[in-house]
Amino acid sequence: MSNEELESQLSAMFDDELPGSQCELLARRLARDEQLRARWGRYAAISACIRGEQGVRLETALAAKVSAAVRQEAVPAAVPPPGVAGRNFFNPWVTSLGGIATAAAVAAVAILWMRSEGPAMVARNTQVATPVVRALAVQAAPDATVADTGAANAVPVAATASRKSREPDSYVVPAQASQGPALLAPTELANYIVAHSEFSGPLMGRNALSALVAGESAVPQVTAQPIPATVVPGK
Amino acid sequence: MTADASDLSLVQRVQRGDKGAFDVLVLKYQHKVVKLVMRYVRNPAEAEDIAQDAFIKAYRALPQFRGDSAFYTWLYRIAINTAKNAVVARDRNPVDFDLDMTNNDESYEMQGRLKDSETPEALVLTDEIRTTVNAAIANLPDDLRTAIVLRELEGLSYEEIAATMDCPVGTVRSRIFRAREAIDTRLREVFEGGLGRAEEIG
Repeated sequence: MSNEELESQLSAMFDDELPGSQCELLARRLARDEQLRARWGRYAAISACIRGEQGVRLETALAAKVSAAVRQEAVPAAVPPPGVAGRNFFNPWVTSLGGIATAAAVAAVAILWMRSEGPAMVARNTQVATPVVRALAVQAAPDATVADTGAANAVPVAATASRKSREPDSYVVPAQASQGPALLAPTELANYIVAHSEFSGPLMGRNALSALVAGESAVPQVTAQPIPATVVPGK
Repeated sequence: MTADASDLSLVQRVQRGDKGAFDVLVLKYQHKVVKLVMRYVRNPAEAEDIAQDAFIKAYRALPQFRGDSAFYTWLYRIAINTAKNAVVARDRNPVDFDLDMTNNDESYEMQGRLKDSETPEALVLTDEIRTTVNAAIANLPDDLRTAIVLRELEGLSYEEIAATMDCPVGTVRSRIFRAREAIDTRLREVFEGGLGRAEEIG
């Protein structure tokens, strides 16, 4: 590169009009080349003169003092390049993902807690919950089969045990569901979901969360079961 | 092209430990910072001391500079705060300039600097520099003079100057460079001694 081209670049860099890549190369040279740096200093003095600033001097006493003081300073600690440091923490994507992860963790804890604590709680509240569930089931499916099935799963354990032998197996109740109050909560939830799904979508559309809440081991086992014709009213 | 790319490249070099790059920034902004500090203190020597403190503070704080704003904006805030603090400190602890009352070396030194910066010779030199620069500008061809004045006085970008002068941006860059070179050559002819000291830095 010729001297004139270099000096032309220096002039453009002084005006912040040099492309970034060329700036980096020239900055490296400028930091080492005293002649070039002196020229840079004169450009600054000329600029100050044209703008009519007071006290412009060509000698660089202030710059020399600062330079001497800086030579005695420790090198500033290395930091990541501008645009990187300290921004990830506030990155909207990171913040959003963090929020989603937190929400998912809270939901998982709540589900696990429900599965472990739910049966005992439901055993205590069965008498209160039963009429509501039964009403829901009857309202949702006036056909006798569905209403009986829903009601059978919602009535107290004692009544269920006595009627169990003459009622058909529920398609949503696992075989051991009638063996004790421990599985009442999943049963109630499952029946509610089935009743609700008549209006919101087919049984095949149950999602993994429903299966998890209902305490079933795997979704395919549930969805593979045939849907009784009596589930949907009018069919 | 990024705005302020030249300052940013120099700042990044300083952050990587290149102290020479900081000298370049000081050379570029020393006049602006002194002028800024002069709004708070009337004494030129005191203003230079405060400007020096401001630059050293900026150097120490440079690892925290992330490029969110222009370097000069950041430096400007440091200089303003340093000047305000200096004025408050001075008002709380006024300096006794009575040389008969103390043998403190610092007082002698400060007194000497104050006298030196306010000498008629210094004022004459400043005027002479301005006269030389103005004469050099007056002798420039019209296109060079217009380009350098639009840049330095009006603060237009090369693109804006190109639009104003109806010429390519490359031509503007060349005209401004040639104008600076002509003025610089004239200054060197007149003030060889003063200019020689500029090269001692580093």
